[in-house]
Amino acid sequence: MNKYNPPRMNPSSLRSRFATRFLRSLSEINAQKPTASSSSPTEIFRRYRRIKVAADKSMAYSVRSRRTWSRAMLWKLRTRPCGRRSVKTSTIVRKTRHEKQNKNTTTATTTGEDGVVSGVEADELRELVPGGEAMDLYNLLDETAHYIKCLTTQVQVMKKIADFYSP
Amino acid sequence: MELNAGTGGNGSHKTASERDEVAALESLQFTDEIRRLMSAPGGDNASSFTALLELPAPQAVQLIQSPDSAKLIAAPAPAPAPAPAPNVDDFRGSFQFPFNCGLIDRAARFSVFAGDGNINGNNKSNSPEPTSYNSSASLQKPVKSEPAETESSQPLVSDPTVENRSVKRKDREKVKGSSKKSKTSAKESSDDAEKLPYVHVRARRGQATDSHSLAERARREKINARMKLLQDLVPGCSKISGTALVLDEIINHVQSLQRQVEFLSMRLAAVNPRIDFNLDSVFTAESGSLMDSNFSGMVIPMMWPEVQLNGNRQQYPQQLHLDAFQQPVSGREEVCNSYITPENSLLSYDSSGNSASLHSNQLKMEL
Repeated sequence: MNKYNPPRMNPSSLRSRFATRFLRSLSEINAQKPTASSSSPTEIFRRYRRIKVAADKSMAYSVRSRRTWSRAMLWKLRTRPCGRRSVKTSTIVRKTRHEKQNKNTTTATTTGEDGVVSGVEADELRELVPGGEAMDLYNLLDETAHYIKCLTTQVQVMKKIADFYSP
Repeated sequence: MELNAGTGGNGSHKTASERDEVAALESLQFTDEIRRLMSAPGGDNASSFTALLELPAPQAVQLIQSPDSAKLIAAPAPAPAPAPAPNVDDFRGSFQFPFNCGLIDRAARFSVFAGDGNINGNNKSNSPEPTSYNSSASLQKPVKSEPAETESSQPLVSDPTVENRSVKRKDREKVKGSSKKSKTSAKESSDDAEKLPYVHVRARRGQATDSHSLAERARREKINARMKLLQDLVPGCSKISGTALVLDEIINHVQSLQRQVEFLSMRLAAVNPRIDFNLDSVFTAESGSLMDSNFSGMVIPMMWPEVQLNGNRQQYPQQLHLDAFQQPVSGREEVCNSYITPENSLLSYDSSGNSASLHSNQLKMEL
């Protein structure tokens, strides 16, 4: 019997952190629905939603709070499902969210920034990158770079998993 | 003494062609350096060229302008008589062929700690060599043994030469007058602006010296640097020029990545019902035995679909009613439970399936 030692991947890399978390949440999602009717489109759609949220959540958790976009994403994920529950909590949530946004805006530099350069595209980018609304262009580009890197990792891992499990 | 041995050894390895190449490049650099040193107040630092030559300025200029490097390489320039013999001769010899073994030995033997202090003949002839060495080290790639030598002499070189070298690096092509200095210093400082918290930018020639515009300029350069990084990240973006287009590309890329994530999660949702994911053990565990446990994870799901399909056909036509839900669930609970428990105890489950373990190994490798 040949000994096969697979190359150990770095356990603290972004990729392994994300993969671990995502697989765990995937198995949780699968454990939740015990039965079939899983082939019906509604059910699939529901599961798709959950998986997407799980993917984003695992990615944001893997990045912790080191990045503005991950903090914003975690915030969004935390408040989104709770938004339906009660008005009281939602107002409190909204207040704290405004506080957080205000905090972000104060950190944005008020000295002469060149908003002249690429105004429209910067706004589009702000929409795309979570938490980008309250950042100046320089930080926005920084966050975009990190966000792109994390997204590519996410896509690669998910692709591998999907390929692995499709026949 | 090891310095001597090292440099002597290095010097002897040079081939003739290398030397010629070196000499040609060297002479070019020398002309530039000479010109710049001409403009600088001569004689304030001992390592300035004119001081070394001990020639009055115009005669040194004559040396330069005696047309070209080829001549300088080929034959010693018509140096005027009054130059003190040993220095100029040495230097002339070095000018023709700066990396003579003998000079290298001398450089090694007589320390270049000279700096501003002692100006004796030997030191003077040696001090141009560090400058040439330094410039060559900074500017040449083909001659690789150079840096080894320069490193030995580099920490010994006084500041003016280092400064000269770095300034020279910037304005190799431009041979201008006094504006050169301000331009290069501005360039250097604006390069540093990336790294330093405080920006010391000198105004370039013909630009506003407003504090606002300076800050803006620094900021713009930071942003341009970031854009360059992003261009490298996004595939196919390096050819595009212009910030707006690059930003468009970046936006497209981010959108496509987000959409890919959505599609993949849709795919995983469709794939999901049949297979269960218990491969986190693959990634967290570092031991081989845990990978064997995945075999059970693979086997059990294979059996699931059969049961599920049967249940489907019998009890579920197509609908998603909650009542219909309840019945089959209760009906098959025992079966499900029996399948669920082995899943949960995967880590303890131990079996050896070669194909399965290889499969999981493969996935781990891919990931």
